[in-house]
Amino acid sequence: MMIERRALVGAVVLGLGIAVAGFLVWGFAAPYHQRLFFTFLVNLIAVVGLQVFMGNSDITHFGHVGFMGISAYVTAILATPVAVKRSALASAPFGVNTFELSPLVAVVLAILVTLAVAFLVGLMMVRQAGVAATIATLAFLVIVHVVVMNWVDLTRGPRAFYGIPPKATIGWAVATAFGAIVLARAFRDSKWGLQLRASSEDVAAASAVGVPIRKLRFAAWMLSAFIMAVAGALFTLFVGTISPKSFYFDLTFLTIAMLILGGMHSVTGAVVGCVIVTAGVETMRFLESGPAVAGMQLPEMFGLTGFFLGLVIVLSMAFRPSGLLGSDEIDDIWHRRRLRKAGVEVS
Amino acid sequence: MEYLLQQSMNALSLGGEYALLALGLAIVFSVMGLVNFAHGDMITFGGYAMFLVAAGMGIANPALLLPVGVLSVVLFAMFLEKVAFKPVRGAPPTTGMLTAFGVSILIQNVALIFVGTRAKSVPTMDFLIQNVTIGSVRIPVVQIFETAVTVIAIALLVVFLKRTTIGMAMRAAARDVSTVRLMGVRADRVIATAFAISGFLAGLATIFVLARRGAVDPFMGFTPVLKAFVAAVIGGFGSLPGAVIGGLVLGVAEVMMQVVLPESMAGFRDAFIFTAVGVLLLVRPQGILGERPDFGEKS
Repeated sequence: MMIERRALVGAVVLGLGIAVAGFLVWGFAAPYHQRLFFTFLVNLIAVVGLQVFMGNSDITHFGHVGFMGISAYVTAILATPVAVKRSALASAPFGVNTFELSPLVAVVLAILVTLAVAFLVGLMMVRQAGVAATIATLAFLVIVHVVVMNWVDLTRGPRAFYGIPPKATIGWAVATAFGAIVLARAFRDSKWGLQLRASSEDVAAASAVGVPIRKLRFAAWMLSAFIMAVAGALFTLFVGTISPKSFYFDLTFLTIAMLILGGMHSVTGAVVGCVIVTAGVETMRFLESGPAVAGMQLPEMFGLTGFFLGLVIVLSMAFRPSGLLGSDEIDDIWHRRRLRKAGVEVS
Repeated sequence: MEYLLQQSMNALSLGGEYALLALGLAIVFSVMGLVNFAHGDMITFGGYAMFLVAAGMGIANPALLLPVGVLSVVLFAMFLEKVAFKPVRGAPPTTGMLTAFGVSILIQNVALIFVGTRAKSVPTMDFLIQNVTIGSVRIPVVQIFETAVTVIAIALLVVFLKRTTIGMAMRAAARDVSTVRLMGVRADRVIATAFAISGFLAGLATIFVLARRGAVDPFMGFTPVLKAFVAAVIGGFGSLPGAVIGGLVLGVAEVMMQVVLPESMAGFRDAFIFTAVGVLLLVRPQGILGERPDFGEKS
């Protein structure tokens, strides 16, 4: 895949920013904040993965978290020690409680399974017009949730799946986030990404100049699913305990709000949105629990976090529908500034 | 035979509920291109309005609650249109859809903050929860009413759309809004009417959803409306007859699944149905009555 040097530099700078933050957190932060940062990185990878499909094809995608869930559960089922599985998954099918795989092998298999599912769903997806496609993604999320909730022998159903080896480290998460950002930028600024973005603006014009819209949409769909799968596996191997609720509406709302606030057409926007919304959500969580602020006892307000996310989405759409960054990437902003300094008139 | 009759009544009433909701979605979509993800929260709102009137004003007679339910949903739909959806009118479909999605999250969480997670019970009319016995078949009254009300509502809607000026304007707007405006019809009125109708249909659905559940909680609107969305997609998104057909197909499919699936697999019902819908869309991407999505290719 050919990628412009400027785009690559932009992606690397963005990734380095994450890496520096990661290094600081790893070196100096308290365990609680390390956990928080790790969750932030998983969300970041997920938002970037979501951007790959939503930002380039302009089809709202509510099913991305479903891919995370599939990958997370496959990883958990394969990597959890037999000693735990013998009691937790006593009646598991396929004899999955008789063996355990190393986390790395488990992750690779989890990604393959997720991609296989994404392939099947994708076949249907690329034939749909925008609205029907979006509803299909939502239905997909519900399917994944229903299956995980009801296949009790394999997934423990609504109960928590515990005992997964917590092998993931901040270093791994930073490296993955870095990779995801570069991958997303590489796709966005490749010939294919450009063609897909063009087709989302004008289907007729794009296909008139020979853009293979369905193929490109399918490619974006698969790449997005791949990144989501990695995020899901990473999350599982860090927290060690997962439940179906971890991969349902809460996470969907959160990641969508992040992407929309930052600007879904831009990878930089995805990262910016993720940072701002994470800060906002942590503040809301604090207020939600009814803390005493400046000597005043605030009431407990369960639901504040969700309210905040809804507000972020509605206000973004009302005042800045293309998000904070619009279609600008970090290097676009620099480039324009440099041109302006050189006295060139830029719009 | 009796079993068959009972199950087809089940399918009809469930399908009717989906049809009412899917019609509301389709009307708004056809007139202003908005995919209203907040449709389900209108049901929730109606439920809370009934609960508040019952609990707050001490109105114990459930018959008085029925108009409260329907009317509050109509007003709420028109309120949402003015406050939330007017700013994004004419914006790309994604913007409108995400706005509605955000509004939906807002409503759910406002309910969560002020009323709490726990379900609140709403009194229902006694006769709705009774069964009637016809011959040797026992049928819940609510099912008969639901089927009848759906049929009447759809008939009224057809008359409204075919015979009244504003109805004709709405049908025309579904094809070409700008021409309708050039004819001197005010877009505001057309859109407000569309929302009022969609609210009215959702209000009727609210009554029946509550009669079945007996209680209201912040997330109760999600599942029925997801089903309605799927029904609309089956029928062909934006097509009004398609919405009705899709609703009935989905209702029948759901009841059939319930009959066919063994007890241990019952939980997977929705997964099977949605997968089947996915396969249907693979073969016929435009749904039953929709127009084929245009990728600018030769077909």
